[in-house]
Amino acid sequence: MNARSLLLNAYVYAVLVFILLPILIILPMSFSESNYLAFPPEGFTLRWFQSYFGDARWMAATWFSVRIAVLTAITTAVIGTMATYALVRGAGNMGTLFQALLIGPIVVPHIALAVALYLFFQSTGLSGTTLGYVLAHSLIAMPFTVFTVAAALSSVDPALEDAAMSCGASRFTAFRLITLPMILPNVFAGGLFAFIISFDEPVIAFFLAGIRDKTLPRMMFDDIEQNLTPVIPAIAVLLTLLSIAVLIGAGLLKRMADRRAAGVQES
Amino acid sequence: MPREASLPTNGASIDIRSLEKQFGTVRAVDDVSLTVQAGEFVALLGPSGSGKSTVLMSIAGFERPTAGQIVIDGQDCTRLPPHKRNIGMVFQHYTLFPHLNVADNVAFPLKMRGVPKGERRRQAEAALETVRLAGYGDRMPKQLSGGQQQRVALARAIVYRPRVLLMDEPLSALDKNLREEMQIEIKRLHSELGLTVVFVTHDQGEALTMADRIAILKAGKLQQVSPARELYERPSNLFAASFIGEMNMLPVDWDGNRARLVEGEEIILPRNASIAPVKSGRAVLAVRPERLTYGRAGTDGTWAATVRDVVYAGAGTLIIANLADGTEVRLRVPSAGQHPVSPGDRIGLTCPPEALLLYPEAEA
Repeated sequence: MNARSLLLNAYVYAVLVFILLPILIILPMSFSESNYLAFPPEGFTLRWFQSYFGDARWMAATWFSVRIAVLTAITTAVIGTMATYALVRGAGNMGTLFQALLIGPIVVPHIALAVALYLFFQSTGLSGTTLGYVLAHSLIAMPFTVFTVAAALSSVDPALEDAAMSCGASRFTAFRLITLPMILPNVFAGGLFAFIISFDEPVIAFFLAGIRDKTLPRMMFDDIEQNLTPVIPAIAVLLTLLSIAVLIGAGLLKRMADRRAAGVQES
Repeated sequence: MPREASLPTNGASIDIRSLEKQFGTVRAVDDVSLTVQAGEFVALLGPSGSGKSTVLMSIAGFERPTAGQIVIDGQDCTRLPPHKRNIGMVFQHYTLFPHLNVADNVAFPLKMRGVPKGERRRQAEAALETVRLAGYGDRMPKQLSGGQQQRVALARAIVYRPRVLLMDEPLSALDKNLREEMQIEIKRLHSELGLTVVFVTHDQGEALTMADRIAILKAGKLQQVSPARELYERPSNLFAASFIGEMNMLPVDWDGNRARLVEGEEIILPRNASIAPVKSGRAVLAVRPERLTYGRAGTDGTWAATVRDVVYAGAGTLIIANLADGTEVRLRVPSAGQHPVSPGDRIGLTCPPEALLLYPEAEA
């Protein structure tokens, strides 16, 4: 192992520790017997998890968030892959402009984006609707999906599609049968990232929330304002577990992608 | 020579009419017209940037010409997308689909044509047999050597029996031995299958040994289309003359009958020495190094020269000499049975009249 990869490993582990550190605090707090958020926690109970799963309002918010996150994942995976294809393969002079537009949502503060979307959605009646959320979340998740897919697509030889076309495949068939299978793990990984970004997105949800449908993060903010019970750390623990699961999933997909790129047959 | 039309062939004819392709301000292909007979093997030869690949890609349908027509077997294909042209193609890099095994790669064109699975498998195996890779179907492309991968690409290009096979510098990624082996292989396939082949290369040796006719391109313009022998012995202009093989270019004064070497002898040229009429005045006399012989200096009808270098290379010897005005002349002579010379010796050069070619001065 050379110095560079040693440094890289150290960096990765440092980031991991940094990400996982909050669990060390929220995990014991989620089992606390006290009726309000307090540190250090007292006793041990699963009642906050029970009250989360048992409360129809929490469950409704969770399913609403899941629905939006799934739709956002699908939307960004499809549109993001198409955008990446144009960016990597075509675009020409428009490429730089296009790329800047795609990166935009990362650079623009979410609060500014949220205000803009709030004003726009108010006048178009999209506020609080599933479609409104999916559009807004797709917007902020798109750059991550595009980068994930672009990483795979730029390593696929464009001549492969030419070869497929010379074999009698239309351009779309060539993409579907040759290029897509090779980048599919990254498309899935990009969708997973979009899912997570949507699922725990608080800022835009704050502005777009209607009276009826609220996303999970929005509900958590409400609860912090009004009750401040340990149900919050309980949900936070569950969200963290979900994020870890997604990370592992994305990692497995990346390994699959590498194996595909290396042309090793899958068992 | 072009194959006779009466010969049995499965190939299609290709008619390229006034083809033109403009990239921005650059004219990559400039008024190229070329007819490829059914079953003929034509090489497109030229330096990089000569437009040879653009011509090929226009036949394949990957480039849309700015002007002109591509007619394949009487059908105007100029605006037909590549997948509807029924053309087999081999690319410079192997372009095998890395996620499919060899058999599925070869069967891909059959799949596109709706051939049932069992039949696909059988025909793919037969095509692999044709390129001597029987039994390799279950391997992944990455498990094969470069030469084997290119054979698979070849099998994939011929599996559905296309009538035209296009090859874009297919052997340039292979090492020399493998390249020669593949040249023979491709020639064999061409005569076995009787298809029309258009082959792009920048390797003149490859073009000369493989093709029925060779089309030379330079800066988007067609220079000459001839069988190998004619191209070598009677190149139609200075570019073709210098591009194929070695050529001595001697500046002369031409009066319409005789050529006079600068500060040197007068040479009477046969009538057919000039391919196109050459105006009186300054001109270029071209002669292949292996057509020159030497004898004692001062003999009648010889050109006076002084030996500068002698490079012995086994069977042959290269002699580099200077004419009276300093112009360099190269001779390639058999090493055996020659009166040996050494640098500084004065010699007289002779050349059979039919080996002399006259061109207008630096028109290219």
